[in-house]
Amino acid sequence: MEIVDTYYSKDEYVETASGNKVSRQTVLCGSQNIVLNGKVVVQTGAIIRGDLANVRTGRYCVISKNAVIRPPYKQFSKGIAFFPMHIGDHVFIGESAVVSASSIGSFVYIGKNAIIGRRCALKDCCIIEDGAVLPPETTVASYMRYTAKGTIEGGQGNPNFVPAAMQDQMVDYTKSFYEHFLRNPQAG
Amino acid sequence: MANFMQNSVVSYACTCGLVNPITKLFFCRHCLKLRCGFCVCHEVDSHFCSNCLENIPSSEAKHKKNCCTNCFNCPCCQHTLSARATMVVVPKKTDDSPKEGEGDGVKAVTKKMYYLSCLGCRWTSRDVGIPDQNVATGAWPENECSYQTRFNALLEYYQAVVLQDKQEKQEYLRRKTPKAHKFPSLTDRTGLTVSMIRRQIGWPDKNTQKAKPVNITPSVATDELEDLPADVFTQPINLRNVSNIQQRHGQPSDQPFTVNKLYPQRRILWIKRSLRCRQCEHNVIKPEYHPTSVKYRIQLFANYHVPDVLLVRSEEVLHAGKSGSIILKLTNPTMHDMSIKIKELPTLSEELEMIEEFKLACKIKENTATSAAAESLKSITSSPSLTSTTLSRQTSLIEDPRIVQQKANVKLNNSELNFVLNQRDDSTEFDEDVQTPREEPEFIIWRKSNKVSIRLPFTTDESLKVGDLVKVGFTMEYTYVNTVTNTPTSHTLSARVFIDAGQILGE
Amino acid sequence: MSHAEHNEIKIMAKAIVCEDCSLIGDITISPGCVIHPSATIIAEAGPIVLGENCIVEEYSTIAFRLPTDNKIDPAVEVRTLNIGANNVFEVGSRVEACHIGEKNVFESKCYVGPCVFVSSGCIIGAGVRLVSEQKLPENTVIYGRNCLQREAIDKHGSQTLQIDFLRKVLPNYHHLRKPNYDPKKMRIAT
Repeated sequence: MEIVDTYYSKDEYVETASGNKVSRQTVLCGSQNIVLNGKVVVQTGAIIRGDLANVRTGRYCVISKNAVIRPPYKQFSKGIAFFPMHIGDHVFIGESAVVSASSIGSFVYIGKNAIIGRRCALKDCCIIEDGAVLPPETTVASYMRYTAKGTIEGGQGNPNFVPAAMQDQMVDYTKSFYEHFLRNPQAG
Repeated sequence: MANFMQNSVVSYACTCGLVNPITKLFFCRHCLKLRCGFCVCHEVDSHFCSNCLENIPSSEAKHKKNCCTNCFNCPCCQHTLSARATMVVVPKKTDDSPKEGEGDGVKAVTKKMYYLSCLGCRWTSRDVGIPDQNVATGAWPENECSYQTRFNALLEYYQAVVLQDKQEKQEYLRRKTPKAHKFPSLTDRTGLTVSMIRRQIGWPDKNTQKAKPVNITPSVATDELEDLPADVFTQPINLRNVSNIQQRHGQPSDQPFTVNKLYPQRRILWIKRSLRCRQCEHNVIKPEYHPTSVKYRIQLFANYHVPDVLLVRSEEVLHAGKSGSIILKLTNPTMHDMSIKIKELPTLSEELEMIEEFKLACKIKENTATSAAAESLKSITSSPSLTSTTLSRQTSLIEDPRIVQQKANVKLNNSELNFVLNQRDDSTEFDEDVQTPREEPEFIIWRKSNKVSIRLPFTTDESLKVGDLVKVGFTMEYTYVNTVTNTPTSHTLSARVFIDAGQILGE
Repeated sequence: MSHAEHNEIKIMAKAIVCEDCSLIGDITISPGCVIHPSATIIAEAGPIVLGENCIVEEYSTIAFRLPTDNKIDPAVEVRTLNIGANNVFEVGSRVEACHIGEKNVFESKCYVGPCVFVSSGCIIGAGVRLVSEQKLPENTVIYGRNCLQREAIDKHGSQTLQIDFLRKVLPNYHHLRKPNYDPKKMRIAT
């Protein structure tokens, strides 16, 4: 089914010059360290902790409501350090997901209520199902699907778990999400 | 795709009769047909470990029993283990002072010792008693199966038995078809020629190693079992120390009862597979070799060649027996203009005719394939591995076509709808939307470059009840330009589309 | 509901409490604590005392709720929820336990119900829901969707390094609530 147009009111969302649509009710800590590369939608209630480390997002990402983007930390003998977080293009992060991955590739779908442990590495074109819990430092390879049960399945060329044309599908999905997320036309 | 994870409401019928959304379908450019996961042959392309993303050649994978050398799974929660380092102070005695206990001669060296730890359940390799290793990729001990020697002996014995059987069969075949002429011909394989020469000279036959299986003692079943200890019913069990079924199955060799005997297991490898059309043996999907690459060397997805149908919305509330309409959005993904005709689905007799045609085509293909295989079999005399290396691949089983299970329960109002879809032109994405006024049939609502939105009116069946799903089905005939051959040829192909239009809401 | 009528928040020195968090009820925050923005602490059924060096991350909720069936009786003595030192409440966790010891880790999006007695050194894994009445023995690790339990033999490291880092970084980016409670002054006054 085609995505229906959702409207937001003008005072709820800010549209920047590069096309990012950011809600005013988000908590963007350390906004000077957050780089949203263009046409990114950040919905209400999302938290991006740029104060801990740099966060860099690619184009056409969607960060849904109440998602938490938190850079991961690593404990050394002499102290801890928060590492910068890189998110690729065309990534969809579902509602209320907690993402602490060190890097997320492009064309990734993260379901709602997912918990991505710290320093995980999600490669391109993978799917994290709704409600999945990834323990820290797991790697999800390309075209793999991490299920809510905790198993990793899939593989490139296997049409059953991750669609073979995942890249095109995510491009379509995020682009049409962005295009259908429109400002409320002013009445009168 | 209002929700990415939702099942698609639009599905296409593949040639085998199974119904799939377009994301799961492929298009064979040589047969010009849709193929689903069952109509293609899945072949292993490469092995890789999903944790360290290392490519492992297939021979090494077979040798290592499809397990990664460096990565381990936690025996407790089956997630990945990672190596952690600790600093350990190791006292090191120097040669100068042989006296023991003297503070001067003993030097304390801090070494980095590694242990495996799971971050999901906080299990560590120290829980089982595995000593820390010097190197991060250290030699973590694998638990030895107590039956390993017996198992190896059985394996050798049966391999020898198989080899002996094979050799006897070859001897029998050779003896059965004697050579008509005396002189050895040049086309014979070397084994025969040499043995004939030896026979002529008068030398004894060359000793071909006859595999004589070493006799092993067969297993003897015994009736005696250990008695249960007397306190097995009274002793309280600490459930935290008892392993659960999943943990035991992860270690099938000994399946320990207690948690402190669970060893880390090696991680199994995953594969990248390439898909091949069963009918024309051409590749439909071929991924890149490198584990981190997401590209394909060959990608023949259906949504690159077949027009994509998307349900925009259902216009009116659906009632049984009344007419309704849905709005569809069609997209032309090819670089040529496409003219589309929407017709009713084929009737049962027409479907059966199509199935018969398909089966006939398969039979012809099978006959040619088996005759080729028989030819190749005749020319082989004494190669040791008959099955794997000589035949390039086994003749694939074609999926039996069947009647499509999903039935449409509507009737289209118009018998045929014809329209034209423009070619895909990426440059128009940036152009302003200029609508040139032209004569449009009345069912076209909206048109933009290679997309068109149409209204499809239909009448639902009388027999449907409230809450039943309404399924709209039609045949879409579209012109396709085949660019495989040097001169592009135009074909008219048809696809059967089924759409979930919603539920019957009122009487 | 007289306890929740007015907020009485006592923040000791050296505690980092961001302005954005919502603190409702009678709450005492001991020195060394770090409370991230968008955290929630609700002291409904009585005061909450947060032990030293606790970390409360964003969207986490610590609640001391009234039991749903009993009505509050003003004559009955007021219970205090004493949360031990060195606890970590990660993102999205909801803790309503009746007792919380020391050195526990409540991972992301876990839910601990009101009848759970959490001792010390426990690790409640991500996404775990503990609803039924139970007493968790010390050094328990609860992980997985089915809340499997095991005994942790290795103690997990302390959070002091993280607290030091946060104490340096958070004041640069957030408005903080000022400490308003000095135990020395109170003692001199009485």
